[in-house]
Amino acid sequence: MKQLPSQHPETKTRSAIRRHPEGKGERSFWRSLEELAGTEEFRRSLEAEFPSLAPLDLDRRTLLKAMGASLALAGLTGCQVQEDEKALPYVTAPEFNVQGVAKWYATAVTMGGYAQPVLGKTLDGRPVKLEGNPDHPFFEGRSNSFTQAALLDLYDPHRSRAPRYLGRTATWDAFDKAMLENAARMDASQGEGFRLLTGTVTSPTLQRQIAELLQHWPKAQWHVLEPINEDFRREALQLLFGRRLDAHYRLEEADVIVSLDDDLLGSGPRQTLHGRSWSKRRLAFQKGQGRCLLMATEPSPTLTGITASDRLIASHSRIETLASALAHQLDAGIGRAANLTPKEQTWVSKAADALTASRSRCLATIGAHHRPEVQALGLLINERLGNFSRTIRFTEPIATMPPEGERSFDRLCEDMASGRVATLVMIAANPAYAAPEDRGFRDHLGKVGLAVHAGLHYDETAALSQWHAPLPHELESWSDARSPDGLVGLIQPLIRPIYDVRSAHVVMENLRGQFGGDDHAIVQATWRQAWSGAFDQLWRTSLHRGFIERSAYPDIVIEAIRAIPPTPPSQSEPTLHLIVRPDPTIWDGRYVNNPWLQELPKPLTKVTWENVILVSPQLAEERKISNGDTIRLVTDRTSVTGPAWIMPGQEAATVVVTLGYGRGPFGSAMDQMGYDAYRLQAAESPWHRSDVKLETTGLKQDVATTQKHHAIDGFDFIRTVAAPDEEVKTGRNSPPPSFYPPTVKNDPSWGMSIDLDTCIGCNACVVACVAENNIPMVGKELVGQGREMHWLRIDHYHEGEPNDPRHYFQPVPCMHCEQAPCEMGCPVNAAVHSFDGMNLQVYNRCIGTRTCSSFCPYKVRRFNWFNFTENDPPEIQAVRNPNVTVRARGVMEKCTYCVQRVSDVRIQAKKEGRSIRDGEVVTACQQACPTSAIVFGNVSDPQSQVSQRKGSGRDYSLLEEVNTRPRTTYLARIEEDLAPQKQSKEGKE
Amino acid sequence: MTQQVSPGAHGSSLNRYAAITGEITQIPISFPQRRNWWIAFAFALTLLLIFFVSAIVVFWNGVGVWGINIPVNWGLAISNYIWWLGIGHAGTLISAMLLLMNEHWRNALNRFAEAMTLFAVVCAGLYPILHLGRFWYFYWMAPYPNTMNIWPQFKSPLTWDFFAVLTYLIVSVLFWYIGVIPDLAATRDRTQKRRQQVFYGLFALGWRGSARHWARWQQAYRLTAAIAVPLVVSVHSEVSLLFAAGPIPGWNSTVFPPYFVLGAAFSGFAVVSMIATVLRYAFDLEDLVTARHLDLLGKLLLASGLMTSYGYISEVFFTLYSGVQHDVLTLQHRLGGTYAWSYWGAVICNFVPLQLLWWHNIRTNPLPLFLIGLSVTVGMWCERYMLLVTALYKDYLVSSWGEYHASFWEWSLYIGTLGVFLVPFLLFVRFLPMISSFEIKEALYEEEERGRDA
Repeated sequence: MKQLPSQHPETKTRSAIRRHPEGKGERSFWRSLEELAGTEEFRRSLEAEFPSLAPLDLDRRTLLKAMGASLALAGLTGCQVQEDEKALPYVTAPEFNVQGVAKWYATAVTMGGYAQPVLGKTLDGRPVKLEGNPDHPFFEGRSNSFTQAALLDLYDPHRSRAPRYLGRTATWDAFDKAMLENAARMDASQGEGFRLLTGTVTSPTLQRQIAELLQHWPKAQWHVLEPINEDFRREALQLLFGRRLDAHYRLEEADVIVSLDDDLLGSGPRQTLHGRSWSKRRLAFQKGQGRCLLMATEPSPTLTGITASDRLIASHSRIETLASALAHQLDAGIGRAANLTPKEQTWVSKAADALTASRSRCLATIGAHHRPEVQALGLLINERLGNFSRTIRFTEPIATMPPEGERSFDRLCEDMASGRVATLVMIAANPAYAAPEDRGFRDHLGKVGLAVHAGLHYDETAALSQWHAPLPHELESWSDARSPDGLVGLIQPLIRPIYDVRSAHVVMENLRGQFGGDDHAIVQATWRQAWSGAFDQLWRTSLHRGFIERSAYPDIVIEAIRAIPPTPPSQSEPTLHLIVRPDPTIWDGRYVNNPWLQELPKPLTKVTWENVILVSPQLAEERKISNGDTIRLVTDRTSVTGPAWIMPGQEAATVVVTLGYGRGPFGSAMDQMGYDAYRLQAAESPWHRSDVKLETTGLKQDVATTQKHHAIDGFDFIRTVAAPDEEVKTGRNSPPPSFYPPTVKNDPSWGMSIDLDTCIGCNACVVACVAENNIPMVGKELVGQGREMHWLRIDHYHEGEPNDPRHYFQPVPCMHCEQAPCEMGCPVNAAVHSFDGMNLQVYNRCIGTRTCSSFCPYKVRRFNWFNFTENDPPEIQAVRNPNVTVRARGVMEKCTYCVQRVSDVRIQAKKEGRSIRDGEVVTACQQACPTSAIVFGNVSDPQSQVSQRKGSGRDYSLLEEVNTRPRTTYLARIEEDLAPQKQSKEGKE
Repeated sequence: MTQQVSPGAHGSSLNRYAAITGEITQIPISFPQRRNWWIAFAFALTLLLIFFVSAIVVFWNGVGVWGINIPVNWGLAISNYIWWLGIGHAGTLISAMLLLMNEHWRNALNRFAEAMTLFAVVCAGLYPILHLGRFWYFYWMAPYPNTMNIWPQFKSPLTWDFFAVLTYLIVSVLFWYIGVIPDLAATRDRTQKRRQQVFYGLFALGWRGSARHWARWQQAYRLTAAIAVPLVVSVHSEVSLLFAAGPIPGWNSTVFPPYFVLGAAFSGFAVVSMIATVLRYAFDLEDLVTARHLDLLGKLLLASGLMTSYGYISEVFFTLYSGVQHDVLTLQHRLGGTYAWSYWGAVICNFVPLQLLWWHNIRTNPLPLFLIGLSVTVGMWCERYMLLVTALYKDYLVSSWGEYHASFWEWSLYIGTLGVFLVPFLLFVRFLPMISSFEIKEALYEEEERGRDA
């Protein structure tokens, strides 16, 4: 009792105790004398101390009131929870919109100006995945890594969001005013001094707009700059045929392909097309239908050279000699005999024999970066072999060029230098960065009166221009573009522009002082004009299909061939060849802000986030260079430093640099990564130079690579056979015994087969997997620590002498082992087997002991070392696939065979009351693969494609000896040329 | 002490018993080395602070702050876990096994050996929780009724590890505590200060030393010992399965369970030797921890070391004999790869100085014994590290090979766990009878009785 009664407490209490009736029996226990006395003070203090003991003096009415009030209050609390709700339900729901059900739109994204037909998957208005358009007659639903990654560019947080004037954010009104003033000036002078610079233009609408502009201002000029161009190839065609043409290869019809330094299967706008058509031939060959011989000679390994069964290493200038010698061997009238080494002679003879044997079903091709005369010689070889209109066809050029043709950018630079350019408008071009150093574009830009840049990013050129106008991404605008085969693809938006941007078509109108147009109307106008009558019908069907049927240019039959000047003899062999190539993952630099492509391991080096200088093993030994050593390449004007990387199989005196890096600063994570190889490009010979010196610096750089060892060391991870019907040596007839009961194969039971014979290592599957499965990108530092998150990796191996090894690719997803060590290791049942034979990871259950990864013989599991996904900007969160869990910190993850796609199909089949059809489930990697190397399906069904593949003699399991019984198996690579060699090797054993 | 104590008259021996109790219980009551203890304790507290900082850093950011990666996704955390657990084993071995075998000389060593076990197991037990990706769900390892309606996965060696370590911790605590009760009572009876009387009195559980008490105590103590002995074997066998159950070259070997148990005992004896020599020196316990004890410890160390070396030899032999390509390659990586230092460090630190123990003079000399113990402790640490890292960093697929280098936070956490060990151990030395006085007296009495009979 803290509060004692104030007046004479003792006496009061005592008397009360005395007054207490004794022996009444009601309260036989008391806790204190005060309680016994039952004083008011006691009650008060008791109530103060223990309020719950206070009596509830309530009548019925009060009680009801209290209850009513509490109910009302309880109801009110329910209202409070939703206070941060911003979403509104549809008052009138859009027709046919079902939340959570994907909608697919046919559209296209462009690469180097060429359309890549895609289907865009949108969920609740957000584009979340791009897949090839299966209706497209040439791409047939396939894609490459760039197409897959184009989606992320849409959500790039570093995209330009508003117009800028002199670097400061401006309004479109101000832009309009400036354009109007300029248009008035130009109207007065008929466009004198007005220059338009674009990239490769294949868009009929843009072509129309350019033509109209040039018509309107006759003195205006149009120039083209495409950093990775085929100018030399066009010149070769011009040289030979006297007109502008495009050559198209039909690889599916070529039994023999001889590639002289032409990376047919490598990165570029034609990669998917070529991969698709080559694999068709290859798959037919596997079935015994005809030949499929690919021979290549090249200075540094490319995807084509690695895929080739006969690869000859030759320097850039030596390839000219080889071309000449090959031509001469086929027809003494062309080319010239040359002194060849025995190895070269063997290769040339073999190529010549093979080509002759497959007359009109063969193809000889010379890389687009070789001199026009040499390439013309290559065309002549095809002519002599009767390949014209068969394996090589000609059409009108897909891309329109300005009248000056390939040299138009040179002309622009000259005019700028002499002050003849009053207004320069650059649309989707970045000449301040992506142009050969010695054109001096950056210096001349100051002499231009008004420089206007329109682009996706506020880039180097934008920073040097007065005006910058942000363009929308292709997935948020209307346009059209031709794919490399010539078909026009219609580009339609999947989402309204995220930022305050204007389409290039609208900007084109603005230039002439016309405002208020919209890209939809402009594109429609082009086709309304072209189709005149049945516009509505054709527009609808074409939009639905994604491309305009029969819009490709018809084949042109070549009748007259000009005599080509004899190829000048190649110069004497220099001490060092410098070869400039596009980067295999970020191309000419335009994808530098795309983390999916930045973290994508380069196919051969597995380097991420930067470019390296490739040196040959011989040169490395001679100059004592090891991987990561900083070396300097010096020309008479400039020098570039970067980390060296030894590339086995590279020509001894060749050094390869790749374009696209060393950009910025933009204030993004991609600033200043790698070195800028454009500084080494010479205007006259952009792809090769021999006046470069290599210096070592004694410094070392950290290079982040996902694979540190490439030499296969005699292991049999990659197996080969000498003929399509040969059985691969497994060493065992039946699987070794296991402690665990045999797996029961339910129907369906999923499995995968990967054909190493058609895999070209192009990385399309890797990016498709990233896009489908919300795989986080971790950055250079963490990749360097071995913490990349890719569920699917492509292992690259080389076997044999480092100077001239054989290269192999092997995509490695989760093997979905029937006897999976990871499942045995997990203490909390997070790694489990599904009823349909998939090895799955239950993220919610995972506590991150990482035992599964320790026990995994394939090391395909990936761990969330930090919370990789928590701090993603909202743009990046928007790209995520809502059907795949976003993993938080501390859980293990891995390939799930795209379980969400399997579920989708299963639900669909259940609804329709049928079983799942073969080929109905398509995993993301399988879908993207341009060469059909990956097949997924039900292994319980003997008729399924995957079962038939697994029934092939070439089928084998990776690390069979570990007895994990993988569901993912491989088909051995077919190496016909190795047959005698291999047999003798086996004979020895 | 039996060598020094000659059988004498009944009265004088009673005095001597009192003197023994006095000597031991006097240490906590009026601590002789206050200054040095505070220095040591401050040092240990600093280490403990480092532990807390390192643990918070890991808890806050995730295990990404460590150097682990794919393929080496276990690092110092797991190798230290095994190392600490191994150290713990000697305590149980000395106490329980030798108790059951009636080897009375153990009585001078068992108390602090058990305390060492206890704190080493605590250090070990912390690691598996610290290393979890989502440590806040560590209890999912336990079988408990939950809304997910799911049990642990009983095929996993980790599940059994969890049970084994938990059981081991509980049994070690029980065994150590039961053993210390009579001495707590003796301390309680001798101290003059009220606070100490209450403290020791509470933990003495009302021990009065009646015959009934002693009978019950004997039963309980021997029973717990009988439970503890198989645990010595089972715990480290389980731990070895963490490696041996995985189909990874260099791990997947049936020799691992005995190899690990012997290695554990070996490292434990090394640490007991170190602690024994230090305590003996610090508290002038030469009459209790005598030269004979050091001699016996040296022999145990030598014997378990030789048995461990057999594990090394058999591993190499069977790898070469099997000729399995991956296994041979792993062996090559162990002997000559990036982490060859850990293999040769283990071989040299474990077995080279050990050979000195063949000499009696070395065995009975505290300083060499201490140094050899230290060398073995380091060597066994190298061994744990080597077994873990060399198997993972280059396993099957050449493409996934990668290296592991422990980060700052891993090292700091390791140093921190030394604090986790030292702080309670120093408190034990300061506040509890560190040697079992009644058991020494019992042994002494029996010795005398035997002497009289003879």
